Amino acid sequence: MGKGLLKKASEYLITFFIIITLNFFIPRLMPGDPFTFLSSEEGQITVTYTEEQIDKYKAYYGLDKPLFVQYASYITNLFKGNLGYSIYYNDSVVRIIGKRIPWTVSIVIISIILSCLVGTILGSWSAWHRNGIPDKVIYAVMIPISEIPSFLIGILFLFILAAKQGIFPLSGGISTFAEYNNPAEKAVDIIHHAVLPVLTLSMTRLGEFYLLSRNSMVSVLSKDYIRTAKAKGLNKVRIIFRHALKNAMLPIVTRVFLSLGAIFGGAILVENVFSYPGLGRLMREAVMVRDYVLIQGIFIFMAVMVLTMNLLADILYVKLDPRVS
Amino acid sequence: MFWRIKNIIIAIVLAGLMLTEIAGCSNSERTVNKDNESSKPVVISLEGGDWGYPTPFSHYSRGPGVFKMTLIFDSLLERGEKGYIPWLAEKWDISKDGLEYTFTLKENVKWHDGEPMTAEDVKFSFEYFAKHPPVSNDLTVDGKSFIKSVEVVDAKTVHIKVEKPLAIILGKIGNARIIPKHIWEKVDDPRKFNTPEAVIGTGPFVLKDYRKEQGAYKYEAFKDFWGPKPKVDILQFIPVSDSVLAFDKGEIDITGITPDILSKYEGNREYKVMKNPAFWGYRLIFNMEKRAELKDKEIRKAFAYAIDKNELVEKVARKAAVPGSAGYLPVDHIWYNKGVKNYQFNIDKAKALLKGRKMSFNLLIGNSNAEIRIAELLKISLAKAGIEINVKSVDMKTRDAAVKKGNYEIVLTGHGGWGNDADLLRTMYAKEKTSNQSPSADGIPGYSNEQINELCKLQLIEMDPAKRKDIIFKLQELIAEEIPQIPLYNTTGYIVYRPYKYDGWKYMFDHHEVTHNKLSYLDVK
Repeated sequence: MGKGLLKKASEYLITFFIIITLNFFIPRLMPGDPFTFLSSEEGQITVTYTEEQIDKYKAYYGLDKPLFVQYASYITNLFKGNLGYSIYYNDSVVRIIGKRIPWTVSIVIISIILSCLVGTILGSWSAWHRNGIPDKVIYAVMIPISEIPSFLIGILFLFILAAKQGIFPLSGGISTFAEYNNPAEKAVDIIHHAVLPVLTLSMTRLGEFYLLSRNSMVSVLSKDYIRTAKAKGLNKVRIIFRHALKNAMLPIVTRVFLSLGAIFGGAILVENVFSYPGLGRLMREAVMVRDYVLIQGIFIFMAVMVLTMNLLADILYVKLDPRVS
Repeated sequence: MFWRIKNIIIAIVLAGLMLTEIAGCSNSERTVNKDNESSKPVVISLEGGDWGYPTPFSHYSRGPGVFKMTLIFDSLLERGEKGYIPWLAEKWDISKDGLEYTFTLKENVKWHDGEPMTAEDVKFSFEYFAKHPPVSNDLTVDGKSFIKSVEVVDAKTVHIKVEKPLAIILGKIGNARIIPKHIWEKVDDPRKFNTPEAVIGTGPFVLKDYRKEQGAYKYEAFKDFWGPKPKVDILQFIPVSDSVLAFDKGEIDITGITPDILSKYEGNREYKVMKNPAFWGYRLIFNMEKRAELKDKEIRKAFAYAIDKNELVEKVARKAAVPGSAGYLPVDHIWYNKGVKNYQFNIDKAKALLKGRKMSFNLLIGNSNAEIRIAELLKISLAKAGIEINVKSVDMKTRDAAVKKGNYEIVLTGHGGWGNDADLLRTMYAKEKTSNQSPSADGIPGYSNEQINELCKLQLIEMDPAKRKDIIFKLQELIAEEIPQIPLYNTTGYIVYRPYKYDGWKYMFDHHEVTHNKLSYLDVK
């Protein structure tokens, strides 16, 4: 066990090191630099720096030094917990990311839970009625849903539920400059704003969990002990959720943790649709303006998240499945 | 076993809720507006987005950050509808040799913290900018500072000596922001200076709230503003997912619209539609270093004849644009010369100029829809004249890098600033070996024309505006004849607002956005 743990730990360490290295070099290998703005989006304006200004800024941010010197200082700073100072956003990366993490992480986590719960329930239901009408209907609905890109679903929600019906706000994570009488009011406002992004994100993951749990369930339901349970005359819900699901859970739980990376990717699109103040929007912008320092910061955060989830999945798997040691 | 998973899920849900709460707490700094309740305050909401903390040093270089900063910080002159108007300086005097400027400042000008503004602040600002260039740096020509010295004559008089007598200096000095000495003299790293003190100016609006992650700003009218009375009490920028939806729901008070939905607002009394001046545009740059045959004027003219600008305006811009002028300055520019050569779309002429030569060029473009459409239409019409075009689409930054390095044959690029001082013709077309200009201003790679260079130099030192205008007109004619690059079209775009809510929107003489104009929010005739 100890040896295995050591092996695992070193695996994670190596992965992490490779990630932070790629993190440093890939942004810098992209064409362009953070200071050259010669064109703008239609109707937009931009300040074009003179060469002198660019040289000054490069020196200011240490970008005039050789790449390996920059790399060395990046690594040392990283171990000091210093993610640097954003070139474009003019603020410390930790502060910038810190303010946005809660928004993204909460919609991501809630979406995973929602899509997992609903997907599993529907999947189990479908499996029980395999090839019956409910199965066919749910299946026929789920497949297209899982294939529609998240921003399309988002725009649809935006038009119907926010713009036409006015049930939910059009954008943002909270009413701007609103004044609340008590924290509960504020929480309601935040939840109100989060509904559409969460719904959109959940929809995009729903199909995946549905299919997975349906498959897993179908194989479990063909087992002898299920036949026994049926023969005992136990009711349907009890059989599905107590006897079968327990054994069908394994791949679903793993998927919850492993889908985190993908759902963060989905969050970028969804946050852009709803102007949600999370990390996704920031990431898109950071790449667009070649803010090396911020790009590094965001990707390190993402990498740590995904690696942690992987680790959790590894640990959980051992706990859940007695066959794995 | 199952309960364990349940516990984990519950823990995660709780964590999620907690995080939401934390997010909420971090936003708890709020401002209370208790103005006179008697008259309802005028609140104007505009599309937000994070464009940086509005100090001269930390707003972002892209986007309207600079105008959020100018709401707070005044300059000696302001940009009116026709030209520069007196602002912090009520009058000025330029010596005959064009080397000395004397500005007389307005009296009773106060900073937002109540301190009086004096000539000392002006001197300090100019000297501070020389040491720490602001994001938008007006005090240089071709990357070099032109200020020799700034002297305080008395509390309301400043005397500025400049290195060279140049026609554009008044506008440049006039546009530089004035920052308070008593605050900034202690600041060594202005880029990281982002306390509330950093946004103290003399301008008509005071920053009350800024939320970076949401892209929201809240400004309040400055009670002791020295100038025209603000007509807007609260000006706020809020996050918007789709600006037209937000406008329809009344969340924002003005929005840009595409021509396709114009009919919904036009002719409706509730709305007023305005057409922006054409100061944003697309152009094709020829790289004559990479493709020497482009040095041949006939070939460039063949391009000009083989491009149907009207088709581009109609199909790509959906008529919300004007065809580019071959003399570069667009039709709305104060010094536009309408007499320049106009290359009417004519494939036969293009063919005649090419004399049967077949050519093939690589065209580098960005990745916006408009650019891709423009490129496809160009490809079709140029092919008719016998010029084959291979289009390569990359992201904006990649294209900019290629332009900077001259790493292209022909490039399509789009940007604003076409309404700026006509000296932009010099930075655009003239070749000066010694210059250390902005990278876009390296002229056209491989192109140099004695006459153009000469006229460009002349207009820069001509202090008499009428004479200078003549030179600029000649220059445009020459440029149109030479056609070293092809301005394709300048967008006009429409904006719509509800006049009963607020009707003060005005343009600056050189800019295409009313919301960027400080005077839009003030009581000026």
